[in-house]
Amino acid sequence: MPLKILVTAKRVEDPESKIKVKPDGTGIVTDGVNYKMNPFDEIAVEEALRLKEKHGGEVVVASIGADKSMTEIRAALAMGADRGILVKHDGPLDPFVVSAILDKLFEKEKPDLVLLGKQSIDDDQNQVGQYLAERRGLGQATFASKTESLESEAEQKKQPGVVLAADGKSLRVVREVDGGLVTVDVSLPAIVTCDLRLNKPRFASLPGIMKAKKKPVEEIVAASLGVDLAPKVAVKKLSEPPKRQGGLKVADVPELYAKLKGEAKVL
Amino acid sequence: MPDKKNASYVQSLCMGEIEEEIIVPFPKMEDGEKETLGQVLASVRQLLSGREKEFREWDVKAEMPAPFIEELRQFGLFGLVIPEAHGGIGFGSTAYSRVLQEIAKFDGSVALTVGAHSSIGMRGLLLFGTDAQKARWLPRLTTGEMIAAFCLTEPGAGSDAAAVRTTARRDGNDWILNGEKIWITNGGMADFFTVFAKTPDAQTGGKASLTAFVVTRDMPGVSTGPHEDKMGIRASSTTTVRMEDVRVPGDHVLGGVGQGFKAAMRILNAGRTGLGGGSVGGMKKLISLSARQAVDRQQFGRPISEFGMIKEKVGLMVVETFAAESVVSLVAGLIDQGYEDYAVEAAISKVFATEALYRVSDEALQIAGGNGFMREYPYEKAVRDCRINRIFEGTNEILRLFIALSAMNDVGQQLKELASVVKSGVADPIKGFGVLSGYAKKRASLATGLVGDKRSFTRLSPSVKHAAVVVEEATRDVAIAADRILRKHGGKVVGKQFATHRLADILIDLFVLSAVLSRVNSIVEEKGAEGAAQELAILEIFSGRARRRMRSNINRIDDNDDELVKVVADHAFEKEGYSWDTL
Repeated sequence: MPLKILVTAKRVEDPESKIKVKPDGTGIVTDGVNYKMNPFDEIAVEEALRLKEKHGGEVVVASIGADKSMTEIRAALAMGADRGILVKHDGPLDPFVVSAILDKLFEKEKPDLVLLGKQSIDDDQNQVGQYLAERRGLGQATFASKTESLESEAEQKKQPGVVLAADGKSLRVVREVDGGLVTVDVSLPAIVTCDLRLNKPRFASLPGIMKAKKKPVEEIVAASLGVDLAPKVAVKKLSEPPKRQGGLKVADVPELYAKLKGEAKVL
Repeated sequence: MPDKKNASYVQSLCMGEIEEEIIVPFPKMEDGEKETLGQVLASVRQLLSGREKEFREWDVKAEMPAPFIEELRQFGLFGLVIPEAHGGIGFGSTAYSRVLQEIAKFDGSVALTVGAHSSIGMRGLLLFGTDAQKARWLPRLTTGEMIAAFCLTEPGAGSDAAAVRTTARRDGNDWILNGEKIWITNGGMADFFTVFAKTPDAQTGGKASLTAFVVTRDMPGVSTGPHEDKMGIRASSTTTVRMEDVRVPGDHVLGGVGQGFKAAMRILNAGRTGLGGGSVGGMKKLISLSARQAVDRQQFGRPISEFGMIKEKVGLMVVETFAAESVVSLVAGLIDQGYEDYAVEAAISKVFATEALYRVSDEALQIAGGNGFMREYPYEKAVRDCRINRIFEGTNEILRLFIALSAMNDVGQQLKELASVVKSGVADPIKGFGVLSGYAKKRASLATGLVGDKRSFTRLSPSVKHAAVVVEEATRDVAIAADRILRKHGGKVVGKQFATHRLADILIDLFVLSAVLSRVNSIVEEKGAEGAAQELAILEIFSGRARRRMRSNINRIDDNDDELVKVVADHAFEKEGYSWDTL
């Protein structure tokens, strides 16, 4: 059964960039910072493409943000997604608002499945997928993972970790939880968020990049969706983690004890 | 607007003129291509990162495994410069050069495999191919189903490309090719060979001239030799290509019978930004390695980055890289803007970038100390890999002669006109007077340093004034020097290699400085002088050093020890070696 899959591609700071907080703590210094697709979203795009390759259907990639988020949509299209939706919005958002926007996109697109990264690596909030499932009253499977190793033969052959049931009405998802794995079946339509060990995302080939330029991308102004765009969460201040102090060598246990008790005051 | 067919910034310098509008503003890539390039670079990084171990292994074994070549094919790296209509990416010179830069940050052999295909292997087909020829081969060259190789060099025809001995003789509509090419990059894996052979030319009364042919591996009589055991770029395929009575159909001729020498030169010129880009990539990688090494390595209780001699090395590595990047980008930008006479500029970018990389790799190894000499570190491979750059695609020596002699050509023309006018002056005094007084005026204004037409920059920001003056003064000096060299040696200047070498070095410094100047000027205009403090510092360093080098070269045009050096060299040739000992 062909699947229509909606997948997200958020624009985030490249984790390899050096991130510095502005002196006044209102944000980060963006000069010289590179951006890319949220790595968890890349995993979601990869999983969507594998499901489509197996069952047919369509992969629609959505991003919410300023015009520049088009780059991340094009990146997903270059990997193989079919078309894109850019919801244009400048200014701060929080998971509550993002899930409300995705809710509207769901209404419009009526996908069989929404695949999202479990969280984005900028704010690490891990809430959008859960909120969206709640708003739609749909089943959710968070932290989708894989039973076999990423180096396994199955992965080499790009076997999907999220498996569609024979009747096409539900998905079997292996979830990563503390201390192990849980397997759940979830009826379609469903919301699935993807964890790190679900797959190894492909990278776009040059012909893929050229093809992506011709794929359709719809642009929607966020304000036109009838959603309250005011974030419920306000960021008060950002600060860098305290600098690590250099270690020191001690001669023996009594000295160690004295330092821990006297200087570090942990005993 | 400058005439894009004939305008050349460097050739104008020798006439004492600064063709400012050719190089200012610094060329900028169009937004759409820039976005595509960004995606391509990101993908290239994903393809090649984390494979250092493999690259080193292939270097040791001197092979690039077939599955990896297949990965390159699937990835689409062989279609970079092929037009979209034929299934390629259709990148211009700037974007192409930037991709090679990215690949070279990871491995020289990979960059060369891709570069030899696109820069020169199939460039002849792109430049001179008929529509039918393009339709026939480009689709397969795009996918990498056919990998291309450029076959010019022979045992007796290295720098002297015209001495090719491979022959092509007519047989009905076909040609029969015989001969052997050596040191052919991609030879072992290529299916498409651009081969240069001597053909008897009817127009020159049967005197042989060069013709370019497309030869494919499936033709009976084509064979390639074993993988050469090289000093560097060891994983890249280098072999001989042999042709024994190879029957090549008439429609495999590229760019016309007898047009081969010109074609070869144009292919090499067009391909230079690829090698330049690769060199810049190598430098950027080495600076990352050296910066990290300098910060991490502790000696005398401090990181070595705190020591002046290390700072000097790394600082100058950055300046050289910025300069090389500027000149390579400028040349690529000129090509993309449609300038056709860029051969001298392209030659300068190749000479400067390849020598800068060699110096940078040597310093990077030195900063790493003993580790730099060990094979488990990346430095010795970098030094080995880049050494060939100064030799292939035209040795830097041949290119220096080309730079100086081409640039002096216009001055020579003027002098020749002058001479013929002097001779025929009596016959046509009016015409003679016009030419004479025009050149005399020019000479007079040069000598007195009067600010005349095109003697100075008019569009630059005041922040870069200092360096602009260096270019202006050196331009006046180089014009006087070119005039003096030509008056001294006349037509014999071709054989005066000490003098042409000096003039070439001056022109290299002058053009590279112009490129840095224009680039920094554009950055100042965008970010303001305060925001461009680093770039202005680089400009100041480079212009000061270039000025001193140019000054020294100009002074030595008349005051030198050339004749003594020749005597010593001839002595060594006669004795076939060194004649002294302290015993």
